[in-house]
Amino acid sequence: MERRVKITLAALAVRLAIAPFFMHSGDMESIYESSRIALSGGNLYDFVYQQTLQMQHASGLPIFFEGYAYHPLLIYFFIPFYWLFTLIAGTSPVFIGGHYPSLPVLIYPWAPLAIMMLKIPIILADVAIVYVLAGSDIKKAKNYAFCPYIIFISVVWGMFDAIVAVFLLLSYLMFTKKSHFLSGLSFGLSLMKLYTVVLLPLFVIRLFGRWRELGEFLLGLLITLVPVAYYLAVSPVAFWNVLVIFQGTRVMGGVNLYNFIWIVPDVHFDLQVSVIPSILLLFGMAYVLLKYGRKLPLLEAMLAIMLLSFLFGKVLNEQFLVSIFPLILLCKECDRRLWVAPFAFIFLRSPFYFFAIPILWASPYFYDFYFQADMVWKSLQTAGYLLMPMYAVGIAFSLLLLHDLLQVLKAPRSKLV
Amino acid sequence: MFVAQSSWLGYGTGAYAFQSPAYFVLFNDPYDGSSKPNVHVNPAFAPNERISLVEFSDWTSYVNGFNLFNDFNVTINVSKSSWSGLEATYTRPGLVVHKFVDISASGHVIVRLEATREIVAHIEMWKWLMTSINGFTIKTAPKPMLVPITRMINFTFKDQTLLAPGYGSIELSRVPTQIEVWPFEGGFNRVTVDFINSEITFTISGAAADIQQKFPIWSYTDLPYVLPLISITVVSVYLLVEHYGKKSKDHTRRSRS
Repeated sequence: MERRVKITLAALAVRLAIAPFFMHSGDMESIYESSRIALSGGNLYDFVYQQTLQMQHASGLPIFFEGYAYHPLLIYFFIPFYWLFTLIAGTSPVFIGGHYPSLPVLIYPWAPLAIMMLKIPIILADVAIVYVLAGSDIKKAKNYAFCPYIIFISVVWGMFDAIVAVFLLLSYLMFTKKSHFLSGLSFGLSLMKLYTVVLLPLFVIRLFGRWRELGEFLLGLLITLVPVAYYLAVSPVAFWNVLVIFQGTRVMGGVNLYNFIWIVPDVHFDLQVSVIPSILLLFGMAYVLLKYGRKLPLLEAMLAIMLLSFLFGKVLNEQFLVSIFPLILLCKECDRRLWVAPFAFIFLRSPFYFFAIPILWASPYFYDFYFQADMVWKSLQTAGYLLMPMYAVGIAFSLLLLHDLLQVLKAPRSKLV
Repeated sequence: MFVAQSSWLGYGTGAYAFQSPAYFVLFNDPYDGSSKPNVHVNPAFAPNERISLVEFSDWTSYVNGFNLFNDFNVTINVSKSSWSGLEATYTRPGLVVHKFVDISASGHVIVRLEATREIVAHIEMWKWLMTSINGFTIKTAPKPMLVPITRMINFTFKDQTLLAPGYGSIELSRVPTQIEVWPFEGGFNRVTVDFINSEITFTISGAAADIQQKFPIWSYTDLPYVLPLISITVVSVYLLVEHYGKKSKDHTRRSRS
């Protein structure tokens, strides 16, 4: 059997073996809940918006319910697998109340099965990336297939950034093969998480003047936006609030320079200060797009924009790097060890139960042990021992991003594709 | 199977907790000193859920007319003779009452009261909410009502988180002088037991009914093996294909030559 298939199967085996036993309770609960609502014909955005209104009414603060704040198409990747799950397990809820900071109640034996089913689209995306990378370089495919960070985000936590990654990779590959329609389509699908939208001006700038190619690209992109138009028509207020206002008014922080803000317990002040990185991002983007947008090879140009958005974007969650990791592996100028910082950050920031469920909640005894371990974990966090390391990791990651960004900008100029 | 032998865990706040295979018992709530004890059941299908089954309230219980919370000095110790035992000693001039909490041989929770002399006691047990007690519902007992004296109190409930029906029972070792049920909104929120004796034991048991569809092929204890099995199968198929694929390739090459 050719090595490409071997490495793909190995990547699949590793992921299947881990998938049912762990989950990020907030994110998996969100996908599970959204699949349930969507399959029963409900409007996801109305649901999330109602929750937000209730929270804001109860607290008097500009806070948001962190539920399904993604592209409408995303849920269709999960619904078939949730539907298959209901054929076996019925429709009774199996995750109850897992939104942070509450602890979810898990219903056994079904919770591990539900978790595995909902992770299948993510596993397939991971495996597809491995297969595509193996087509050019087995070593790069191995780096992706067995990277602890990628495995953790995709199958331990069950976050779907790998779906963003596979479409971003395909968009790049299609663009270089001059299939601009497919490139636009793939790029549209990569918008499952909105942070890749910063690449749109780059594609437009590179195709500017080649109107036919630009038209094909935009047509592909527009097809993926049809559901967006639908929701804007049927529930414009809810859709706008959940997708735009929520994402636009998040408090800065994450694996970046700005997580010091977490020690300031004033939401209004935090939100005001959070505008500053966005201004830096806008100026940085304009500079890089205009100066390097058409000069750099496409891969380096895409990475430059994404690295810049990670550096100056106000929110940089641990999982975001997954989306560009395949591109980083393809790029000679980038350091593939970038993943170490967000991986370390996971263990500094997360509450203990993000590592404990469902495997440690399968018996009352384990659950009791969880509480005892959690007390130690929380005492470390509340005593502030983890804040300084978190800030240090944030700074270190920002410096690494800056280093890679500067390396990418030095890449040899190429003919425009 | 990795199952630990649980024991009472004391906290700096004076609270104690115990986890058995089916019950979680909290003694002396750290916030307000209630729950002496509060017996929770862990449903088999949701091991990390703790449904409060019965809470013994010192705030509203009396011995010889003295309130257990306000009128007694209480000391709490983990039992030296039983790994699962906890002993609370209530003292006031001329009277000592011991409250023992333990796990019975059948795995249920025991709350035993022992006094140095005969006492007149009024014990209140709270549960939000019981849908029926010994066959009485809110329809048949819309006001506080004495129910026929018995040594067995059976009640039903519907858990609001899991939306699962459940049942519980409180078995008394002595015949009480009266049992009273107290309606609240859609059900009963407490049952009170009065007795005259120097000792009495309450044995508490209960469960939540499994509302889930049954697993059609295997039991949940097999689940942790399913995915590794799939992985092993995938790898085995790969090895087989590689082995026979190579042979077949070689055979084709030889035939061509």
